[in-house]
Amino acid sequence: MIKVALAGQPNCGKSTIFNLISGIHQHIANYPGVTVDKKVGRFNYQNEKIEMVDLPGTYSFSSYSLEERVAKDFLYDETPDVILNILDASNLKRNLYLSFQLLEIGIPVVIVLNMTDVAARRGISIDTKKMEELLGCRVVNASGAKGEGAEAIMEAVFSVYRQKERYENFQIHYEMLEPFIQEIETAIAGADLPLNRRWTAIKILEEDQALIEKLDNEQKRLTEKAQACEKRFFDMYGKDVAAFLAAVRYDSAEIVFHRCVSLKHGNKETLSDKVDQIVLNRWLAFPILLLIMIAVYELSIVGGYKLTDYTWPILAGFKSFVIDRLPEPDFINVPMITDLSVWMVNSANALLNYIPVFFILFAMIAIMEDVGYMPRLAFILDRVFKKYGLHGQSTLPLVLGGAMVGGCAVPGVMSTKGIADERARMATILAVPYMNCLAKVPFYTLILGAFFKDAMGIMMFYISTVTLFIALIVSKLLTSTVLRTRETAPFVMELPPYHLPTFKGVVLRAAQRVWVYVKKVVSIVLVVAMALFALLQFPGLEADSKRIFDEKVEKALSTFDRKLQSNPYYTLIDTREKVSTLLNAYDHYKSKRMIASGSQEAQKIDEAFLKKYPNLFILLKPHEDQAAKTVNNAVRQLSNVRKDLLRQIKNEKIEKSFLGIVGHAIEPLTHYAGFDWKINVAFLSSFAARESAVATLGSLYENAKADATRAEEAMADNGGYSPLSAVAILIFMILTPPCIATMIVVKMQSNSYRWMLFATFFPITLGLVSASLVFGFGNALNWSGLEAMGYFYASVVGIALGLGAMPSRLSAWTRANIKN
Amino acid sequence: MKCYLDSLRQGQTGKIIRIHSTGKLKQKLLDMGFIVGADIEVVREAPLYDPMELRIHTYLISLRRSEAALVEVEVL
Repeated sequence: MIKVALAGQPNCGKSTIFNLISGIHQHIANYPGVTVDKKVGRFNYQNEKIEMVDLPGTYSFSSYSLEERVAKDFLYDETPDVILNILDASNLKRNLYLSFQLLEIGIPVVIVLNMTDVAARRGISIDTKKMEELLGCRVVNASGAKGEGAEAIMEAVFSVYRQKERYENFQIHYEMLEPFIQEIETAIAGADLPLNRRWTAIKILEEDQALIEKLDNEQKRLTEKAQACEKRFFDMYGKDVAAFLAAVRYDSAEIVFHRCVSLKHGNKETLSDKVDQIVLNRWLAFPILLLIMIAVYELSIVGGYKLTDYTWPILAGFKSFVIDRLPEPDFINVPMITDLSVWMVNSANALLNYIPVFFILFAMIAIMEDVGYMPRLAFILDRVFKKYGLHGQSTLPLVLGGAMVGGCAVPGVMSTKGIADERARMATILAVPYMNCLAKVPFYTLILGAFFKDAMGIMMFYISTVTLFIALIVSKLLTSTVLRTRETAPFVMELPPYHLPTFKGVVLRAAQRVWVYVKKVVSIVLVVAMALFALLQFPGLEADSKRIFDEKVEKALSTFDRKLQSNPYYTLIDTREKVSTLLNAYDHYKSKRMIASGSQEAQKIDEAFLKKYPNLFILLKPHEDQAAKTVNNAVRQLSNVRKDLLRQIKNEKIEKSFLGIVGHAIEPLTHYAGFDWKINVAFLSSFAARESAVATLGSLYENAKADATRAEEAMADNGGYSPLSAVAILIFMILTPPCIATMIVVKMQSNSYRWMLFATFFPITLGLVSASLVFGFGNALNWSGLEAMGYFYASVVGIALGLGAMPSRLSAWTRANIKN
Repeated sequence: MKCYLDSLRQGQTGKIIRIHSTGKLKQKLLDMGFIVGADIEVVREAPLYDPMELRIHTYLISLRRSEAALVEVEVL
C-alpha cells in the first residue's frame, strides 16, 4: 500500500484535487481529541492500493494552530511514502513557503500546481521544468475545478514512489544560522529519529515543543540548548531565529518565483479586486450581506421546509409500515411494544424530517466557503462581534442557529468548526443554542394563539429578535468569566481570491455533513427517546384506576352488545375478540382514508381492506345497507369512547410517571415563574426534540371533546393561566436548554461533557430566573402580558447595548507585553 | 517616516521594519509573510473601520487594528 499525504495551504484547492483523484471513495474521520477532520480516501491505481490522507490546510508547520499540529503529527507518526503538495499556481510565492518546509522533512514530495487555468487567465505562466530543477522534485500541472491532471499526478506519485531510495534530500542554505543547526544536529546525533536529522534540528531551533516532546527524555536539555543558540544568534546578528528562518524561506520562494514565473500583463486589477470593491464597500457591504443571509435563509430554511412536504410522506409511509406490523391493541390495553415503537418512529421522523433543510443549508455553506465569502463575512462584522467576545466568523453559526426568525442550532454549532480563535469558538458554541429554534415556533404559536390573539405580530417580533441580544449577552458574560483564560488566536486571515465552486465538491460536502448528522445525532436521540419513553410510562397506572378504566370499557361494550343483538350482522360481532378486531379495523380504515389523497388512492385502500376483511368490510363502508350502517355508527361511538379513555389513561400515566413526579417535585421551584407540573413535564419531555413540547401540552390539555376544541382554547380556558404566566412560559422557552441533538453537537464541537452539561443547565437556570423575575415583578406591579414582554425585551436590549459599549479588556496583543 | 501599521490610511504603503510581538501572533504574522523588508499596502478598512485589509506580496490579508499596531513600518 502506498500512503500519500495531501498537504497544502488553505484555499489552494486541495479538496477538489482530493476529490479528483480519489473519486468518492472516501470517509471522514475525526482526529481523537480535536475537532479537525481528517479525510481518508482508499482506492486502487494500477493494481496498487493507495491510501490518501487529506491533511488540514496550513500556512506553515510552526505548530501554533490546531490544524498545523494535526498535520504535523500525522507526518511524524505515520511517515507517509509520498507527500503531495498542492499549490495555488496563481499565488505561488506564499504557497512555496510551505513547500520548502515540506521538502526539508525528507519525505519525497510531488508538487501539484493547481488552478493553472486561473493563473493562465491572469497572465501567469510557470516554467515547471525549471521549477523541478530548482526544487529537485516532480512538478505536475492540474486544474481541480476542470477535472484535469489526475492521471499525471498519479503517474508522478508512482514514479517517485518506485525511486524512493534515490530521492535526494532538499536543503535550504540558512547562511549564518548553519553553524547553529550543525550544533543541534551533533546534540541529537545519538537519538533514533524517524525523520530527517537536519530538519529535526531546525525544528528544535524553532522550539517546536511537539517535536521536542517526541524526543522524550532529552526534552529539557534540548529546549535549553535551543534557547542558548537563539540567544547567541541574537547577540551576534541582532536577529531572532524564527524571523530569520521565515525571511530565508520567503527569500528562497522569491528566487524560485522569479526564475520560474513570467507575468504577461503586470499587476492588472483582478476580477476579485473588482468584486471586493462592491462586496466590501463601506456602504454596500451591509445590504449585500443582508441579502445573502436572507437568500441563505429563504432557500434553506423556508425552501427546505417546503421540500419536507414532499419528503414527509416517505417518513409517514415508514411509520405506517411499522405500525402495520405491530400487535393490535385489545380495547384500551395497548401493547407496550406498539406504544414504544410508535414513540421511537415519531422521534426519529421528527429529526429526519429536517434532512432536506440541512442538505440545502450545508450546500449553501459549502458554496460560500468555496467562493471565498466566509472570510469576507468575518471581515465585515468582526468589529461588532469582537465587542461581545465573539469573532467575525461567528456570523454564520448565529444565522444558521436562527438569527433571523428561525433556524436550527445543530448546523449552527456544527459550523463553528472553522473559527480559528478558540475562545470565540467556545463562546459561539455556547451562544448559538439561544438562537431561535425553528421547532419552537409551533410552541410559540400555541401559547400566542391561546393568550395573545390580538398581539401575535408584535409578540412574534419580540420573540424572534430578542434571541440575538440574549446570545450576545451570554457570550459576553462567558468570555469575561469562565472562558476568560481560553486561548485566543490572532485574527490574521487571508481574503482569498473568489473561486467558482464545483458542483461535485459542494454536493459531496453537503452529503457528508448530513451523514454525520444522521449518524451521530439521530442514533443518540433515539437512545434518549427510549429513556424518556420509560420515564413517561412507568410506574404506570395504579391497580385501582386500572380497574375503573376496565369497568368503563366493559360498560361501553355491553351497551354496544345490547344495541346490536337483533342486528343481522350480529354473528360478526358476538364475541369480545370479534368486536376488538372490528374496532381496530375501523380505526385503521379511518386513519388511512384520512391521509389518502384522491379517489384513486381511496379506491386502493378500499380494495386492500376488502381483501383483508372480506366479511367485515361492509361494516366499515356500509353504503346503503341500513343494518350495516347501524353497526358502523355503534362502532364509531365505541371508537370515540376508546379514544377518550386512552387520553385519560395517558394523562393519568403521565401524571403518575417518573417524569410527572419530577414535574410535581420541582413545582416549588418553578411556581415563582408560574409553571405548574404540566408545563414542567412539557419542558422536560421537549428534550428529545422540541416538537414533543407541543405534543405533550396538547395531550395534557385536550379535554373529552378534544376533536372539536383545539389545544389553544383548552389551555386558555382550563389552564388557570393568565397572559402574564404565558409570558413567563414564553421567556423560559426562549432561553430554554438546547434539545438533545444540540447538546450532542455541543459535545462534539467542544469535545467535553462538562461544557455540554454547562450548555444544558446554565440556560435552564437563566430561563427560570428570568421567567421568575418577570412573573414576580409583573404580579407585583400588575403588568399585562404585553407590557411584561415589552419590559423584558427592553431590558435585554439595554443590557446588550450596555455591555457592547463597555471597553473590552480582552485584547490579547499589546505592545506593552512584549519582552524585546 | 516610521510609524505603526494601524496608523496608515487607505491606499498608503509601508515597508516592514520590525514586528513587536511574541509567540503565536508573531509566528502567525511570519507565516503569512510579514517579514522585515516586505511592502504592505492598506487596501481598505472594514465598513466599521476595523479590521483592515492589507496587500502583502501578492495576496490580501485582513488584520485587526490591535494587531496592526504591533507592526512597525516605514511609510513609503
